[in-house]
Amino acid sequence: MALKEIRDMLDKKEISVVELTEAYLDKINKRDKKINSYITVCQENALEDAKKAQDRINAGLSDAFTGIPISVKDNICTLGVKTTCASRMLEDFIPPYDATVMEKLKKSGIVMLGKTNMDEFAMGGSSQTSYFGGVKNPYDTDRVTGGSSGGAAASVAAGLCAAALGSDTGGSVRQPASFCGVTGLKPTYGAVSRWGLIAFASSLDQIGVIAKSAEDTGYLLNGIYGYDKNDATSSKKSEGDYTSLVGSNITGLKVGVPKEFFGDGLNDEVKAAVLNAVEYYKKLGCEIVDVSLPGLEYAVSAYYLISSAEAASNLSRFDGIKYGLRSGLGEDYSDLIKNSRREGFGNEVKRRIMLGNYALCSGYYDAYYRNATRIRTQLRNEYKEIFEKCDVMLTPTAPTTAYKIGEQENDPVKMYLADIYTVTVNIAGLPAISTTCGYDSNGMPIGMSLIGKSFDEKTLIAVCDRFERDFDRKEAAL
Amino acid sequence: MRYQPVIGLEIHAELLTDSKVFCTCQNEFGGSENTRVCPRCSGLPGTLPLLNMGAVRLAAKAGFATDCTVNNYSAFDRKNYFYPDLPKAYQITQFEYPICTDGHITVTGGKDIRINRIHIEEDAGKLVHDDYEGISMADYNRCGVPLIEIVTEPDFRSVEEVQDFVEQIALRLKYAGVCDARMEQGSMRVDVNISIMPVGSAEFGTRAELKNLNSLKAIGRAIEYEINRQSEILDNGGTVVQETRRYNDNHGDTKALRSKEEAHDYRYFPEPDIPPVMLSDEDMEEIKNSMPEMPQIRFARYTEEYGLPEEDSRLIISNKDFSDFYDEAVKINPDYKQISNLMLVELLRHLNESEKSVLDLPFSPADLAELVKMSTDGVVSKNAAKDILKIMFDNGGKPMEIAKNNGFIMDNDASGLEEIVNQVISENADSVESYKNGNQKVFGFLMGQVVRIAGKGANPKLAKDLLTEKLK
Repeated sequence: MALKEIRDMLDKKEISVVELTEAYLDKINKRDKKINSYITVCQENALEDAKKAQDRINAGLSDAFTGIPISVKDNICTLGVKTTCASRMLEDFIPPYDATVMEKLKKSGIVMLGKTNMDEFAMGGSSQTSYFGGVKNPYDTDRVTGGSSGGAAASVAAGLCAAALGSDTGGSVRQPASFCGVTGLKPTYGAVSRWGLIAFASSLDQIGVIAKSAEDTGYLLNGIYGYDKNDATSSKKSEGDYTSLVGSNITGLKVGVPKEFFGDGLNDEVKAAVLNAVEYYKKLGCEIVDVSLPGLEYAVSAYYLISSAEAASNLSRFDGIKYGLRSGLGEDYSDLIKNSRREGFGNEVKRRIMLGNYALCSGYYDAYYRNATRIRTQLRNEYKEIFEKCDVMLTPTAPTTAYKIGEQENDPVKMYLADIYTVTVNIAGLPAISTTCGYDSNGMPIGMSLIGKSFDEKTLIAVCDRFERDFDRKEAAL
Repeated sequence: MRYQPVIGLEIHAELLTDSKVFCTCQNEFGGSENTRVCPRCSGLPGTLPLLNMGAVRLAAKAGFATDCTVNNYSAFDRKNYFYPDLPKAYQITQFEYPICTDGHITVTGGKDIRINRIHIEEDAGKLVHDDYEGISMADYNRCGVPLIEIVTEPDFRSVEEVQDFVEQIALRLKYAGVCDARMEQGSMRVDVNISIMPVGSAEFGTRAELKNLNSLKAIGRAIEYEINRQSEILDNGGTVVQETRRYNDNHGDTKALRSKEEAHDYRYFPEPDIPPVMLSDEDMEEIKNSMPEMPQIRFARYTEEYGLPEEDSRLIISNKDFSDFYDEAVKINPDYKQISNLMLVELLRHLNESEKSVLDLPFSPADLAELVKMSTDGVVSKNAAKDILKIMFDNGGKPMEIAKNNGFIMDNDASGLEEIVNQVISENADSVESYKNGNQKVFGFLMGQVVRIAGKGANPKLAKDLLTEKLK
């Protein structure tokens, strides 16, 4: 059910917020064992929120999100509710503040069902590195959900929430949305405040939304976007209403297709489905334009250097002194910090911290970090040129569909390379949306991405919505 | 062998902002532990720094005060290291693009000391050690207190140059309202980089960095100690190692803290949470115009325009409020010398004795200007002026009223005074005799008698002339 339909039903009192919330909680309690999409379920808080929301509706003070039950990724700080980043390090961390996005949504009367599972500290593309166990794909529980917002995508796909907040640093909203057959929107860098998002890579992180449709992602983005004085990197340029172009005529729209995204390493079934989508837009009267992003070759390397460098610094604060896990072993400060970090972090997090620190060391800085920032500039320039030729760019979201759990998560390089189609968007700070454009021979969803100009989410949502209207989406049979 | 010291300074100054540099906690000194902390400055996950533009303005002022170029573009970086008093495990500082560059200050002897850069950074917290319990505790009150670091070139060759520079920097920062520059309290901290080289050599030696210098005196002693220590090493054929040394004021010596090998690799990189700081030329003008006249400019005005002795000028400018008071007073009565004299001798003594500031005075610069005019016009005597100043200091009031109410108005009536002189001579025949026999000292006693009877309004010159005349 679309968010605006839920809104309608609640306002017409066809269903009460408590009934709706209870229905979701019931479903979570029954089904989430199979997929492990939630780390924390806010049984009591959610019902309390629901009652308050109903009071508000009854008083005629209903707002866009009053009574809408959503899930929130567990790296977004929620006042009084554990925010673990799926890490042992923050197993018991309860933030004394809400992220700005939560503050906004709460003000509007949202119901938070719980906190969703993810790759530890959002580092990964499988949602298997969580301290609380991996997330399973609702379409096939032997398969991964993608990541890092795997719990968010799975919770939407399995109908365990109306929509979800995730975060996207290198594809962490789009790729799991693609693997789980739902729609994921990564907004322009600066469109949504990062205050309260536990940082992985500050210059790339952006809170995003996962929902059943492009229109729903716009609906939810309307509730969270905007400049925030608490985040100096947030922008005043973003402006709603993000669903305003939905349904408008897109004839004549220029759709760029970059050749580099359709080369070696792309699964044939995925390629066919995405090219099929290109055909769809062509038939609609869109102009298909060949474009090129030569910098793609270096994008994964640049992404891992920049993101790991920032992560190494961002995660240094977890030292066992102030909050989080504190090891009981050792004699002095040095032992305390070493042991706390050894015990608190999982292997993938440790790998990135080591990689990042290495890239920043004097003597290596120029070769690694500085060169990575040069590639960042190059990619931005290349995108600028591309968007002089087209309005949106159409690409696959990931080289493959969801793979079997255990198949490749233990091969870091293979895992990193699988991010190739998503990372350039973060490096360039652009918005992008992923939606399902087909199913492979195993019945697993195939994702395509539309990449847009800065702060032009409206167009992306409208173009994506157009496709979704004519696409036969299959629900996960969980 | 004879050696020449080569010295450079790194000065940290706490900025006088109301709030911390990256959050809204109060920026104050002292207080109970961890009472001025928030999620931001204690490094809670999910928090982001919020740049205090007030700190940027003060840093720019520090640049203008030291003839630096204040840059239109500056940016923050992270300096990464683990320490329990650093909750984020990185310090936000300016590494690649500091706000100010290329300044200088002229020190004693007319030599220019070059300032390489001034950058903004945040302070760390403090560790409190409980030896009895065997535990250490962290106090984050100081976390995020805004600092500037002023880095000089290694241009100093003597203790005097260093001390003069530090004194001047402190004074300029105080004038500009950038920092209160209290070395004892640590609001200004001076680190000294020092090496020695044979006299006549052009090649610098290996330097040591001296920390924990809490006063000008400590700076002097530490440098002297270090020159001796390094000289001894070289004279004995040894090599000086690059290290950080801590000065101990009780022993007057320095001890190694950590060597270069133990130094951190700080893994600097651009702070992604704070966009670069852009100051337009209009911003710069506005900041510049909001600054008061700097002490070195005042010094030049006092010595060159007003003709005050250098020593007096230095004394007046050493306290901005005092100097402001002086400037106000001479605006009304441009008797530079007399006002300076009254302020530096009488007023300064009262202030020191009562431990008061010129801001506490219950009278205005105009009142003081008038008092000096009354004295130079002969309305009151010089001594009476001093007495009036004391009354003004204690109770306030207008000098003319005080003079009138207390009989300080100088009486120029010679006939009345002559009677008194006659009376004193006749009542003190012995002393008069003694004077006439050559005992000059008695004159003062007789003068005293005249003044006692005539009252404070007596014209001392007239009385003296009359007495001299009568005693012939």
